[in-house]
Amino acid sequence: MKIISKEDFAEFVNALIADDSWNIVGVKSKRDKYTFAPLETASELRLDYDVTLLPPKKYFFPQRETLFTYDLSNGFSAKGFTAEAKPTIIIGVHPYDIVALLHMDEIFSETKSDPYYFEKRNTSIIIGVNIQKMSKWCFAPYMGSATIDYGYDLMLTDLGNRYAINIGSPKGEDLLEKYAKNVTNARARDSQLVGQKKREITNMAAQQKFDFPPELIPELLKKTYEESGFWEKHSEKCLACGSCVLVCPTCYCFDVKDNPDLSLERGERIRTWDGCLLEDFAKVASGENFRSTRPTRYRHRYFKKGKYLFDRFGFISCVGCGRCSSNCLPDIANPVNLFNDMYRETLNLGMQVAPATMPDVKIETEGNIDYVPRLATIVKKVPMTANETLLEIKLDDGSELGHKPGQFVEISVFGIGEAPISLASSPTRKDTFELCVRKLGNVTTKLHTLNVGDRVGVRGPFGNGFDADSLKGKDLLFIAGGLGIAPLRSLFNYVLDNRKDYGRVILLYGCKEPRELLFGEELLSLTERDDVEFKPTVNWCPESEVWTGSVGVITTLIPQVDFDPKKIYAVVCGPPIMYKFVISDLKQRNVPDDHIIVSLERRMKCGVGKCGHCQINQIYVCKDGPVFNYSKVKGVPEAL
Amino acid sequence: MKPKVAFFDFAGCEGDQLQVANLEEELLTLLGQVEVVSFREVMKEHSDNYDIAFIEGSCTRLMDEDRLKQIRKNAKIVVAIGSCATIGGINCIRNYKDLDDVRKTVYGESARLFDTYAARPINAVITVDAYVHGCPIDRDEFLHVVKSLLLGKKPDIPTYPVCVECKKNENVCAFERGQFCVGTVTRAGCNSCCVNEGTICWGCRGLVDNPNENSHKEVLIKYGLTVDDAIGKFRLYFGWQEGKK
Repeated sequence: MKIISKEDFAEFVNALIADDSWNIVGVKSKRDKYTFAPLETASELRLDYDVTLLPPKKYFFPQRETLFTYDLSNGFSAKGFTAEAKPTIIIGVHPYDIVALLHMDEIFSETKSDPYYFEKRNTSIIIGVNIQKMSKWCFAPYMGSATIDYGYDLMLTDLGNRYAINIGSPKGEDLLEKYAKNVTNARARDSQLVGQKKREITNMAAQQKFDFPPELIPELLKKTYEESGFWEKHSEKCLACGSCVLVCPTCYCFDVKDNPDLSLERGERIRTWDGCLLEDFAKVASGENFRSTRPTRYRHRYFKKGKYLFDRFGFISCVGCGRCSSNCLPDIANPVNLFNDMYRETLNLGMQVAPATMPDVKIETEGNIDYVPRLATIVKKVPMTANETLLEIKLDDGSELGHKPGQFVEISVFGIGEAPISLASSPTRKDTFELCVRKLGNVTTKLHTLNVGDRVGVRGPFGNGFDADSLKGKDLLFIAGGLGIAPLRSLFNYVLDNRKDYGRVILLYGCKEPRELLFGEELLSLTERDDVEFKPTVNWCPESEVWTGSVGVITTLIPQVDFDPKKIYAVVCGPPIMYKFVISDLKQRNVPDDHIIVSLERRMKCGVGKCGHCQINQIYVCKDGPVFNYSKVKGVPEAL
Repeated sequence: MKPKVAFFDFAGCEGDQLQVANLEEELLTLLGQVEVVSFREVMKEHSDNYDIAFIEGSCTRLMDEDRLKQIRKNAKIVVAIGSCATIGGINCIRNYKDLDDVRKTVYGESARLFDTYAARPINAVITVDAYVHGCPIDRDEFLHVVKSLLLGKKPDIPTYPVCVECKKNENVCAFERGQFCVGTVTRAGCNSCCVNEGTICWGCRGLVDNPNENSHKEVLIKYGLTVDDAIGKFRLYFGWQEGKK
């Protein structure tokens, strides 16, 4: 531990400001609040602050960030991630915000690392400060984040006329050596004083008090998920304004959009902060909104902080800064109040709540996320129905996409945006891949107007896909509804191309009316094969049209096929409403849960488990799915 | 061929068209993408041959309806610009009053010469394809809408309230400054420009699609506004959306 007088510390900060190779930011006052902002002189620093309006994550994960710029005027060029010119030194970070940054580090490095975040994070220097004044909304002592012994480069403790400095890294030590004068070694008494200050902070009579140990939160949440009355009551006043999540130091969800300039040929793809409380957060292009009501979004926020991320990473993703509480005008976002109410509710209901067992956390990182798409060309366009078109696409660099059945790609039309679309072709066809595109949102509508020779961007393949190998030797029952045939076709055609490896192959396919039948000719030709059983149905058939198949919803086909429930594996894909009915019918036929495989749809922006949109509980559909064994998701609320 | 665009105005101050005229350098770039065939504020010429019609102002008379319908017939795309056109705007304050009194206040003895009815946004009369909200409109958002239309995409107009932008801009909340704001229920897209300058959100972009109005009125009263003043806050811009027709 080192000691520096306050005058010398100010000189140290001024020396840093004078050196042009750094961005120096620190806590400054803004009206009667505080904010992290660029420092012009050390005297602006307010290390006696209670809490800042926004957490310091904005320096690593800015409110708005360019992922790449593109230029279509001369062929195509894209300029992706480029290193920031200067590293940032952040002065005055409270311990809870340091804990929050450590959470963000794990989230942004899971599976694929986010280079935009880490380039800034890894080159930055964090100079922390122990809390001198606690915000009245703060409950960091309960969350174990009121003090911290790691995660910083330097940590200051105010000792009246001097600061004690804990050195947390060689970077911090170098900085002090190079820029600070008159730094002395701390005497035993100073170390004792710092220890005493830290104990005082931990015991600081927080105005926010938990009535129970916060370790119980994950289990408490689990017990109250179904208590819809509880969630409705607490969210009644929710304005869905998103303030609680936008000011949160551990919130990381983002939206991705294209921002063309007026030439329409050049532009940028950006990401901006998003929030799960906002109305459209889980809405997909078809209009389906997986959390359309305020109570469900309100509940999601608490579950995300207290349960979903705990199940995934092993930490409760709340550091007790109290920013959400202080920013909520109707005063319903305070986690302390909500969790205390929840605790009382469970006591009233006579429930026993034990601390959650630590999840088995395996965080692995393989390489960086690449947000810049590969260029590809449409080589064939087959209109299928009024709203669906089959596009055959080839990567311009001649490489194979190398996908698995059931995976998806993110398709870009530059200037319009990016959309996730399931691969409709079997990987056995290597040179090109096919997408069955339904005209729904901006990107898919634009894709319909493109022609052979036009270029698109491709990222992926993403997702887990179907495990075609594990299905070898099994009888397969494909059940597709509407556009659900597209992802199933990637597996179905793979199975047909390797027909001898599989047992019986049955395809049940339903759509609204004959004119909406997808892959019509291809499917009808199946009736000539004796190694495939194919049954189509339509919900209704207008009198003007000819239809020789069944009429009725998809479930009416299930009794028409005879199968051995022990041998059969059902692969199901269709609109959200279909799963419940199909699965219930399959179970009635004694098909075991782990013989049912589903492919789910959710809103997706990044495709790599970062943007938060496709999250169902601890699951990211884009990464852990979209293909799931029913036995694994049947207990997951909101999944089906 | 460049799409032909025309500007029209109804009951309003023409401040939104002024925002377009004030695009300056960007206006020149924009003219590389579109051909302006009618724009009273900047040119004398007029043509009824246009693809995109930008309409400013509210519809306040039965006779305005014919003109609106004619514009709709001529144009492939109709864009409402400015609060008066998108949500009825401050013109709708008069919907809370007796219309005869309103006419007398404005026109005195000649009031009988001026027919009128409840002020309304233009989508109360014709189908509107896109909106540029605001009083006045934000130039960047106007350009965003134009670029979107030229590229064939639906403009990205937020469904969330102004609070989102205030938080991103790190504004001190108006309520914490002792002021009263309706940003919590007002559609964002303005980059919280008024609050950034230290004032409040007046609600010029209209209510979000699913506002929790009761909760926000409670908030206004909790922070010390009288019930009448809280209602007044909502009447300034939200009259038509609140159902005052």
